[in-house]
Amino acid sequence: MPAAAVNARGLVKRFETTTALDDVDLTVNPGEVHGLLGPNGAGKTTLLRLLFGLIAPDAGSIELPDRDHLAGFVESPTFYPYLSARANLELLAELDRGSAAERVEDVLVRVGLGDRADQRVSGYSTGMLQRLGIAGALLRAPQLLLLDEPTAGLDPAGVRDVRALVAELAGEGVAVLLCSHQIDEVEEACDSFTMLREGVVVWSGSAAELRAAAPASAYRLMTSDDTRARELLAQHPQIRGGDEAAGELQIEAGDRALEQYVLALGAAGIAVRRLELLRPLEAMYFALTGAA
Amino acid sequence: MNKRSSAVGSVFRAERRKLMAQVPVRVLALACVLGPFAFAAVLKLQNGVPADTLFGVWVHSSGFAIALVVLGFGGSWGFPVIAGVLAGDLFSSEDRHGTWKSVLTRSALREDVFAGKALAAGAFATALLALAAVSSLLAGLLLTGAHPLVGLSGTQLSVGRALGLTLVSWLVSLLPMLAFTSMAMLFSVATRNGIIGVLGPVLVALAMQLLALIGSGSWVHLLLVASAFDDWHGLLSGHPFFGPLIVGSIVSVAWAAACLGGAWLLLRRRDFAGTPVVRRHGWVLPLRTVLGSAAVIAVLAAAVNLGPAGVTEHKLESSIAPAFNDLTILQQRELARTVPPGAKLKLLTSCKRRAGASRGPGDDWTCTLDVFIPQPGANPFQETPVTYDMSVRSNGCYKAEAPPSFVGQQLMRDGRGHNVVNPLFTIYGCFDIT
Repeated sequence: MPAAAVNARGLVKRFETTTALDDVDLTVNPGEVHGLLGPNGAGKTTLLRLLFGLIAPDAGSIELPDRDHLAGFVESPTFYPYLSARANLELLAELDRGSAAERVEDVLVRVGLGDRADQRVSGYSTGMLQRLGIAGALLRAPQLLLLDEPTAGLDPAGVRDVRALVAELAGEGVAVLLCSHQIDEVEEACDSFTMLREGVVVWSGSAAELRAAAPASAYRLMTSDDTRARELLAQHPQIRGGDEAAGELQIEAGDRALEQYVLALGAAGIAVRRLELLRPLEAMYFALTGAA
Repeated sequence: MNKRSSAVGSVFRAERRKLMAQVPVRVLALACVLGPFAFAAVLKLQNGVPADTLFGVWVHSSGFAIALVVLGFGGSWGFPVIAGVLAGDLFSSEDRHGTWKSVLTRSALREDVFAGKALAAGAFATALLALAAVSSLLAGLLLTGAHPLVGLSGTQLSVGRALGLTLVSWLVSLLPMLAFTSMAMLFSVATRNGIIGVLGPVLVALAMQLLALIGSGSWVHLLLVASAFDDWHGLLSGHPFFGPLIVGSIVSVAWAAACLGGAWLLLRRRDFAGTPVVRRHGWVLPLRTVLGSAAVIAVLAAAVNLGPAGVTEHKLESSIAPAFNDLTILQQRELARTVPPGAKLKLLTSCKRRAGASRGPGDDWTCTLDVFIPQPGANPFQETPVTYDMSVRSNGCYKAEAPPSFVGQQLMRDGRGHNVVNPLFTIYGCFDIT
């Protein structure tokens, strides 16, 4: 088995009194698309910044490919607003010692910005900036691609293109670390996952391991009165969960217990507006992170 | 070329490209090219002269004087402004645009980025200084002409010598210019605020100029890097002196090294953890900056009397007497009177301040020159006292003005009937304060 593209062990990062990451391990292998998940404040961005070398860990070790073979962006990609897209990419190529200057035109076309390349970046939409960020990453021939919310602000066609691109790069042996809030996107694109909660890894493993470990039947439930629906759960001990957030409940229940609960809701005059079976990653995410 | 120098070169080229694309830098370049021509053109159209400035009275007489007057203005406030605009936003703009993460995730390491940016700022500062030098020289030569220049002690400098000394004078301003550029970089890194970065060097220059007005000791005055912008004065004296130039060069290098070192330490230690984590309360930084600056200024103000006095009555007397002699000879020659070679006035000079000890800069100096003029019947000479009101600066330069009753009006008719500057009306000179 080839050496891991990312091999981080025992990473700790503190900001004043806050521990952003606590004893975090992360492994991403070549050709693997690894999803990094967690609610806001879980430490995902801090982990990406550590991998990029933008901040130094307080403890732990990180093994990465040579800096020249590391690409991507953290948070939203940023550029010089007074320069055109082409000039910005030429600038980035220059910072890579000019080695990728001849690829600027290709990557602009590849991300669909060929006809807007000479427009100043200050006039770009969020989606166009996202595309330009991906173009900046593609300027290099990366062995490791770190992408933070790469589809944020993209239209559906853009989302499809990015997914296809990530799969294509992974097929070429590039290790991809994908950080996203779009659970369905991550579930489709990734071969393995790491979930963070308050700076701690709460789960890590392959997609197969995830499916095996995920709750068999987790549901998202929306009712006309979530508070009373939650109170009713107390009378149904076979049903687990009941975390309430953003106007919905997450529950785990077998078929029979669920039927009884739904009937009980109806009898209590509570309408069921939506009942949705969660996908394995989503179920696992909610179960482990407590987020909605 | 090794990998490191290649990376620094890459950052340099990227920064060069960014700087050239920025409107303020383009405006600066335009000002450096057109400013001297505009200045020379305005002078050409009016009869007045910038009489409060060294060489100001000679701007209609020699094109080199225009280049030197522009250099004087530059040293007062122009060069710190250029340094601030060039380098004061060099690092903070990355914070403002959020582009640090784009820059620092490429191949160039943090030290490469710092070195490349510093090189770019230094190169642009040098280029703008050179632009201003060439432009002011061309403006002077085209609009006034390549005529001999009256130096700071009254001796006339040939065209070739004036050209060389003017160029060297601009050249020696490069070191303090680079020191101010480094200072702007330090402000930019430390405050992450472009406004403070741009204005900081200008305010420091202003504070240094104010400090130069007080105290009689030379140590603090020599340590002020803004003083180094005046170091070229010694080159244009009849007997050139290099003490201030040597000290100023060392001080400039020390300031540049300290500012660059401080900036690098701050940048090296910095965590690029995103705005929410590092954002400080809005009032903390300005308050710290103001308090820190006030403390430094207070300490320096308390120390301005330390060291030997740079301005003394003896130095002033030693400078004004030969200047008066040379300028009198020049005046007589311009009036088409015969002056034998090696002619020398018999002078007795006495300088003092109206109040307090006769040392230190101030506007209350007076110098009385007792001129012994050979006249028929007088035995052996007729003693004629001339009293000049002196304004003496801490850098050893002075302006001496005498009543027209003895020296005549500011303009006089030369032997060919042309209106020319009366060399004795206002005397500018400089002496060595080291």
